[in-house]
Amino acid sequence: MNTRVVGSRVVREDAWGKVFGQTKFPADVNLPDQLYGVVVRSPHPHARVRSVVIEQAMGLPGVVTVLTAKDVPSNSHGVLFRDQPVLAEYIRMVGDPIAVVGAETLELARAAANLVVVDYEVLPAVFDPEEAMTPDVLPLHPALRPTNVLYHMPIRRGSMVEGWARADVVVEQEYSTQHVDHAFLQPEAVLAHVDERGHMVVQTATQYAHYDRGEIAQALGLRFSQVQVKTMAVGGAFGGREDISLQIMAALMAWTTLRPVKMENTREESFYSHSKRHPMKMHYKTGATKDGKLVAMEARIVGDAGAYASWSINVLRKSAVHATGPYEIPNVSVDSYAVFTNNPFSGAMRGFGAAQTVLAYESQMDLLAKALGISPLEIRQRNMFKVGSTTATGQVLTGSVPLDQCLEKISPYLQSGVDSELVQLKLNIGESTPTEAEQGTPTVNSRKLSHRMKRRGIGLGCAWYGTGYGNGFPDVSSAFVEIHDDGSATVLTGAVDVGQGSNSIYAQIVAEELGLQSEDICVYTGDTDATPDSGTTAATRQTYNTGNAVLKAVRQAKVRLLDYAAHKFSCPTAEGIELEAGFIGVKGDPSRRMPLEDMVFQARLQGERFISAESSTALSTPVDLETGQGAPYWPYAFGCQMAEVEVDTETGLVRVLRVVAVHDVGKALNPTQVEGQIAGGVTQGIGYALLEELELHEGKIKNPAFSSYLIPTALDVPNIEAFFVEDPECTGPFGAKGLGEPAMLPTISAVINAINNAVGVRITSLPATPEKILAALADKKEELG
Amino acid sequence: MDIKFVVNKKPYTLNVDPRERLIDVLRNRIGLMGTKEGCGEGECGACTVIIDGKTVNSCLLLAAQADGCDITTIEGVGNRRSPHPVQKAFVEVGAVQCGFCTPGMVLSAKNLLDKITHPSDQEIGIAMSGNLCRCTGYDKILRAVKRVAEEGDV
Repeated sequence: MNTRVVGSRVVREDAWGKVFGQTKFPADVNLPDQLYGVVVRSPHPHARVRSVVIEQAMGLPGVVTVLTAKDVPSNSHGVLFRDQPVLAEYIRMVGDPIAVVGAETLELARAAANLVVVDYEVLPAVFDPEEAMTPDVLPLHPALRPTNVLYHMPIRRGSMVEGWARADVVVEQEYSTQHVDHAFLQPEAVLAHVDERGHMVVQTATQYAHYDRGEIAQALGLRFSQVQVKTMAVGGAFGGREDISLQIMAALMAWTTLRPVKMENTREESFYSHSKRHPMKMHYKTGATKDGKLVAMEARIVGDAGAYASWSINVLRKSAVHATGPYEIPNVSVDSYAVFTNNPFSGAMRGFGAAQTVLAYESQMDLLAKALGISPLEIRQRNMFKVGSTTATGQVLTGSVPLDQCLEKISPYLQSGVDSELVQLKLNIGESTPTEAEQGTPTVNSRKLSHRMKRRGIGLGCAWYGTGYGNGFPDVSSAFVEIHDDGSATVLTGAVDVGQGSNSIYAQIVAEELGLQSEDICVYTGDTDATPDSGTTAATRQTYNTGNAVLKAVRQAKVRLLDYAAHKFSCPTAEGIELEAGFIGVKGDPSRRMPLEDMVFQARLQGERFISAESSTALSTPVDLETGQGAPYWPYAFGCQMAEVEVDTETGLVRVLRVVAVHDVGKALNPTQVEGQIAGGVTQGIGYALLEELELHEGKIKNPAFSSYLIPTALDVPNIEAFFVEDPECTGPFGAKGLGEPAMLPTISAVINAINNAVGVRITSLPATPEKILAALADKKEELG
Repeated sequence: MDIKFVVNKKPYTLNVDPRERLIDVLRNRIGLMGTKEGCGEGECGACTVIIDGKTVNSCLLLAAQADGCDITTIEGVGNRRSPHPVQKAFVEVGAVQCGFCTPGMVLSAKNLLDKITHPSDQEIGIAMSGNLCRCTGYDKILRAVKRVAEEGDV
C-alpha cells in the first residue's frame, strides 16, 4: 500500500515544547493557596498498626490536616483486585503509606510527617517466594487466597515421556533474575483540586487516566462524572505508572480540605511508591534430537509478586506463554507461579514477564547448540516459529510471523568475529601508545606492566512477544474524530502518550486518510472529561489497538464525507471520490474538485457534520485453566539482536560495543520513532543484563537513589544499528504491530550469550556483575586445573 | 540573605533562605519550570543549568552560592521562531521522547558546543554522560549533538 504520511519520518509536534522547556509535567503546575502533602510510610515489612497519634503533628503551626485509614471512605485500590490500601492499617511492605500530612509549605509537611507517631505490632515477615509458598507460612491476603500462591498457570502440551524419550541431548539449568525499578526520570507528582463545578480534578502523569479516575471515584465515593483526571506530560512510565501512587491521597485531601493539594515524590519516595519488575527463579530442562530439533521442554517459574497482586497474574501468565521462546516444541510442561511475599510489590514493567524468560530460553538454545556442535543461528533457524506453527498453548500462528526474515537479516552480522578475539591492552595506559619504558621487558614494575586481558565475543538473542492485554480480557480502544470547517481535524482518545510518541502516530493516521499533513491534525489525549476511554498505555498496544480505533473513527467520518461529496459532484459512487493534498474531488477529473474546507463548510450550511466515534477490540481468548491451551495473545511481535561485548578478565567488567537489532514491526508508521523505541529498549536491556539491581534487606530498599541504583549513561551504550522487517499484520493499522516492549527482550540474552562467547562462562543470574563474572572465571580456572 | 544574579540575561535581586537550593529558587520563585528535578542528588542532570559557562546541577547548589553569577536555564535558549541549533537537531533527529531529561540534555550539549565547535564522539559522550535518559537509549541524542558538531553552525 502506498502511503504519504504514514511511514514517513514526521517530526513529533510535542518535541518542540520539550526542547524549549515549556512542556508541563505535573510537578510544574501549581494553584494559589495549595497545600503540600507528604506521606508517612511504614519502615516495617509486615506489621499491624496499633495506633497513629497525630496530635503532635497537628500542633505544628501551618499543619492543616493529617489523614489516616479511618478518613478514607473506601480504603482500597488495585488493578486486578482492590487489595492495596490507600492508607494502611495492616502493613505488608516497607513503604506502605499510613498517613498523609497536609501543610502550608512542603518543609512544614515534611517536619510534621516526622511527628506522626505510629505504634506497630511487628509481625514475622517472609521474603523468599519458595518459603512463602509453603503451607505453614501464614497467607498475606487471606481474603484473596488461602496461601501465598496468588496464581499458578500450567501449560501441558504433548507427552513429556515421549518427548524425553526422543531427546538425544538434554540441558538443565536454573536461572534467576532480580528486582528492577522502572527509574523513569520524572518522580510521581499530582495536583488535585475541587473546581468551580464541585468536581474533583486531578492532574497527574499516568499511563491510564480513566483507570485513575475510577479508583479515585471509588475511594472517595464519587461518580465517574464528578472526577476529572487530566494527564500532564508523562516523564517515562515503562509500566511503573499503571498502579495508583499518590493520586487518591491527594484527591482525598483536596476533597476534605477544599483546598488544592500538591504532592511530589522525592526519588527515594518514588522507589517505594511504584511496582517493581518481578524477580523470577526459572528451572529449565530442554531436550533436542541430534539433528537439532527441540522435542521437549519443562520449566518451573516462580515469580515474587511482593506485597500486593498488582498485575502479577497477567505477568506470570505471560512468562508461561512465552517460556518456550519463539520455537516449536511438541512436548511442553510449564508451571508458573506468582507468590506473595513482604517484598516491594511487583507489577508491570516493559517486557511484562517475557523479559525474564528470555534469559532462560535463549541460554538454553546456546547450551543445546554447543552440545550438538551446531551454530546458535542454526539451532534457532531449525526450530523457529513460522506461519502455521503451533505454540505451547496450542495456538496456530497465522499471518505475520517473520522471525525467519529477522534472522536472515541479522545473519551477516554473526559471521565476523565469531571466535573470541583476544585483545591485549596495557594496564594503566588505556588505549594510548605505550611509552618507551613500557615497551621494554617487564622487569622493574610487574604490576604496572602486567597485561590486562580483554576478550571480545558476540551473542545472538531472539524473542517473541504477544501484544495486548491478552487472555480474553476486553482490550478496547476508542477514538472520536471531528473534521473542522476549514478542513483540518481533531482526534480525541484516552490513550496517554507516555513519551513514546503515540500522539504523532494518530496524527499521521488521520492525515493519511484525509489527504492532509500531520500538522493539520490536533491530537488531544488522556483527559477523562473530554476523551473516550482507550485502555492503558501498556502491553505494546497503543499503536496497534488505539491506532485501529483512530483509523476506524476517521474512516467512519470520511465515509460520510465521501458520500456527501459524491452527491455534490453527481458522482454515482463514493468510491469515485478522492481526498488529496487538502482537496476533495472526483478521481481523474480535475474539473470536479474543490478545497476540502469548502466542501466541509458547504456541508455545515446544510446541517451535515463529519464527526465520528469508534472502538476497536483486540482478539484473544482465555486459556484453559488446567492445560494452558488457548490463543492468549494476538498479534505476536518477533525480533533478534546481535551483541558484541568486551569482557575484562581482570576486573570482570563488560562493555557492550555494538548491538545490531532486527525487529518485526508489521509496518513502521514512523521509522524515526521505531528506531527510538529500539535504541531505548536495547539500552534498558543492557541495564537489566549488566547493571541494575534493587538491593533489598528484609524488604527495605538499600539503594533507593540513582547514585546506588545504576542505570545506563551515555557512556554505557554501544553503537546501535536498528533494522526492521515489514511483513504487514493484516489486523493492524496499515499493517502495523507494536514494538515498545519487544525492543528490549533480545538484548538481554544477546549480551549474556556474548559474554559466554567471549570468556566461556555462562552467567545464569542477572545482572551479570563484574563480581559474578570474576567468580565464574575463577571456577572455570579451577575446573581446568 | 540578599543575593543578586542574572538569569537568562535578566537581573534578579532576591532575599533567600541560606538553605534554599538554586533549583527551588528558579522554579518556585522565578517560575522557570523548565529546570526539572529527577533525583535531588546530582546524579540525573535533569536540573542542569549553565552558570558562568559551566554546566551545574542546580539541585546541588544553594541559591546563595550563585550570588553574582550569570545563569542560563532552558528558557534562555532559543524559541519557536529561532531555535538553537541543538534544539532544532534534537527535534529533527528524534532525540526527544518523554522530554523530562531534554532541557538538561540541551543545555549540556549547548555548553559543550560553545566551548568546542567540533567535539569528537568521545568528547560528546563524556559531556552528555552527566544527564540520564531512560527513554531514548541516548542513541539519537548523541546523533543530534554530533550533527550539530559536524555542521558547526552554533
